[in-house]
Amino acid sequence: MKFAQEYQKHLAQDGYPPHWVASAISYRQLKKCIKKVQKELSELGLDGETLSEALRSQYVLSGCENGSVKGQFVPKLLVAVDEATGEPLDAKLAPETRTFLQELAVSQQLSDTRITDVSTDLSSRRSSSDDESSLESQEYRTIKMIEVPLSSDSEFFSMLQDELSGLTELQEQEKFQLNRQVLALSHAVAKITESSSSKSKHDLQQWRKIFELYLSGNIFFSTAEQDHGAHNYAKAHQRLQKFTKDLNSQVKMTVFKRKESQVFLQQFLSINLELLQNLKYQEMNFTAMNKILKKFDKRTSLSVQPNFPPTLSSTLLSQSTSKAICASLSTSLISLIPQIDDYLCPVCFSLAWRPVRLRCQHVFCIRCLIVLQREGQDHCPLCRGCVVIEADVDNLDDDMAKFMRKWFPGDVKAKQKENERATAIDLYGPAYDTKCCVM
Amino acid sequence: MALPKRIIKETERLMAEPVPGISAVPHEENLRYFDVTIDGPSSSPYEGGTFKLELFLPDDYPMTPPKVRFLTKIYHPNIDRLGRICLDVLKSNWSPALQIRTILLSIQALLGAPNPDDPLANDVAQRWKEDEKAAIQTAREWTAEHAKKA
Repeated sequence: MKFAQEYQKHLAQDGYPPHWVASAISYRQLKKCIKKVQKELSELGLDGETLSEALRSQYVLSGCENGSVKGQFVPKLLVAVDEATGEPLDAKLAPETRTFLQELAVSQQLSDTRITDVSTDLSSRRSSSDDESSLESQEYRTIKMIEVPLSSDSEFFSMLQDELSGLTELQEQEKFQLNRQVLALSHAVAKITESSSSKSKHDLQQWRKIFELYLSGNIFFSTAEQDHGAHNYAKAHQRLQKFTKDLNSQVKMTVFKRKESQVFLQQFLSINLELLQNLKYQEMNFTAMNKILKKFDKRTSLSVQPNFPPTLSSTLLSQSTSKAICASLSTSLISLIPQIDDYLCPVCFSLAWRPVRLRCQHVFCIRCLIVLQREGQDHCPLCRGCVVIEADVDNLDDDMAKFMRKWFPGDVKAKQKENERATAIDLYGPAYDTKCCVM
Repeated sequence: MALPKRIIKETERLMAEPVPGISAVPHEENLRYFDVTIDGPSSSPYEGGTFKLELFLPDDYPMTPPKVRFLTKIYHPNIDRLGRICLDVLKSNWSPALQIRTILLSIQALLGAPNPDDPLANDVAQRWKEDEKAAIQTAREWTAEHAKKA
């Protein structure tokens, strides 16, 4: 299937809101515009073949400097002509074109406003023309660049630029909207976490599991060593699906005790879906833009792609929306509910219960600290400071213990039991651990 | 004896998020014993080679360091003929907060930065000091001969 058709089909069928569809890059119109450019160029005798082979010319998009764009930019085709006569320096041009260019040069020089002075080192220029010898004999013949007006070309770029800025605007709007949703949701979830009713406590544990799954799902970005960075639509889509599946299998939706929680979860999921849709739309527009520029180059031989300001194209490519929303999700929503991964003992990898804070501020569970002391290891496992032996009951971190009891009651209980068992083994020997409990 | 939670967690993470250029797979019958491969670091004489190692977690791990040994022959001043490795974090500088993945990364780094001033294989270290170019060439040849990818 041709790209134009495929593109239209995606726009129509992928369930984008109407204003998104309206703002998408109008590939067909741009394509028509390219045809006009092509026609215009060939009327000037500057068809693709001539331009790519024979012409000593420069094609620039003025108005953009160092990749940034100031206002509208205008494409310019600059052709080298002899300063004195206005005669084009390329021999392969058809006679009519030469006459046209010469007239153009003369008129431009008369008005003197549109001459671009380009001091060019002639000898370094690759010249395929047969007047090369004459150039060399008149070593210091200077050349001027004259500008060939390309009206339909300007039309093409103003159209493309309008669309791109429209898209950027749309993206900003979406970003703003999503961000507002995230903040509202965070606010609401915060209320649940602050409440101390038993129902809320129960729901907290549910939310904790959900966020744990969400974080380990690495949906829009990956933090793994092997594939870190942003995900494209296909990957994010796949990851989000997996997350939803895991969610359904591991966290029973019906076990929320407060009705609001259920609603919030739906909102949370819909924000993610919307983000995904955004990503898809961005990717599609980016492809459309690249394709249309490629087509432009192919049809006209004016190589625009290397000249095209990267800032313009990068707004489309950038994952700025997903980045911003993901950041706001994790700072305002997910951080509401502490994750156990942040409170593990770095030695045994389970909850650091009871927490002991050494002089160097590193926290370990009491069990691991006792073992370290017994082995005579004075160095903190994290910073190698000599702080282990000196630790005593004053190093127990009661605030953190309280915090852990609030947020990880289940894990605290399990670790407490484990610690007691280990202590008993220390006291009575490994026989304690045998499962005989008939006493 | 049941496997400590720490070892289970480390193994899970090694499987789910492997370190680029390093693999560690536990034996089914002994989950404390790992088959390890490390890719030689680029722009080192070991580039292009894949080195096999064995790694064993003793009973009191992580209070004591894992035991690691090269199985593939390698020409390196800090690795001897039996594959034993001279690396501080495997001995005196071990810390229970270090892990299998961090240790294997240290070993990979050791391949990229041989230290002939703290030798384990004396003959190799001496040659490394006297004629580094030739030593590196030998290391390259050994890599090509013994550590070629299967």
